[in-house]
Amino acid sequence: MAYSEKLIDHFENPRNVGAFDKGDDSVGTGLVGAPACGDVMKLQIKVGPDGIIEDAKFKTFGCGSAIASSSLVTEWVKGKTVEEAATIKNTDIAKHLALPPVKIHCSVLAEDAIKAAIEDYRKKHA
Amino acid sequence: MQITPLATDADSARPAAAFGACWSCRGPVAAAALFCATCKAIQPPQPLDHFARLGLAPGFDIQVPVLDQLYFGFQRQLHPDRFANAAPRARQISQSQAVAFNDAYETLKSPLARATYLLALRGLPIDGEGSHTIRDMELLDDQLERREKLHEAPDAAAVEKLAVAARSDAAACLGEISAAFAAGNLAAARLATLRLKYLDKFADEARNRRALLALKSEPA
Repeated sequence: MAYSEKLIDHFENPRNVGAFDKGDDSVGTGLVGAPACGDVMKLQIKVGPDGIIEDAKFKTFGCGSAIASSSLVTEWVKGKTVEEAATIKNTDIAKHLALPPVKIHCSVLAEDAIKAAIEDYRKKHA
Repeated sequence: MQITPLATDADSARPAAAFGACWSCRGPVAAAALFCATCKAIQPPQPLDHFARLGLAPGFDIQVPVLDQLYFGFQRQLHPDRFANAAPRARQISQSQAVAFNDAYETLKSPLARATYLLALRGLPIDGEGSHTIRDMELLDDQLERREKLHEAPDAAAVEKLAVAARSDAAACLGEISAAFAAGNLAAARLATLRLKYLDKFADEARNRRALLALKSEPA
């Protein structure tokens, strides 16, 4: 099974690796894990006063597909509103990276991570 | 009806025997029997759980020497040499029996696999449908911190220090799992098993990291 070029690119040159201060009010943090493979994924968004996601960072310890999925999501959400970002579906991630069937759960993890980050941000602004 | 001579104390732990027909002599045979009492033909594996197959009471606390003894006892009865001159059907059955016993043994021998299996058996699996993703902050924060430290570890000694800490935490986890199962607290058993699974993964990562560092430190 050959991995797609986009997947390999995101894995070899992951975008937006790093972290924001999770205590910052403009930051939403999502921390999720996949027990089946022992992966940990942290995804953070930094939201401007206009509700637009200005920046996003991630840190993933897991397989290449999990790293690529979270890297892609941080690229996708930048410049989007929180509401728009909440509509990202794992199927879109899997399709874009051409994930093989056994790696679909990595895209599920990335979708859950962005959702958790948005939930955390909304909780801070409730 | 005579019970097949299995020659273990384990028969009492097997489920109440229902009877089927022997494929070879067509006579009645206990469902859990390995051999037909009448014609001595080997019987195909029954859909038993791993504990029942090996004749153990289901539970987390098992004595590994007892497990070994039971398994090797069955394995002797199923050894391919015993079926070298048997009918093709009997040879085929002996192989599927060997596979079933190997699977049961491998699963029950490893504490992590045993706990995972027992949770699934009790209806609280740690992976699979509906539980792909977890959001346990305490567990994940701890794992994230360990993995970050491992990633930044400058040398083999630093990696070893992290691995030692993880091993000691894993040992504590085993105690928690045992106590939780004994108390019938499946939710606590599940959480401790998840933590053990992550610690196990961490041990793998630490091994890889150490190998990588060893490679780098070798003179070119």
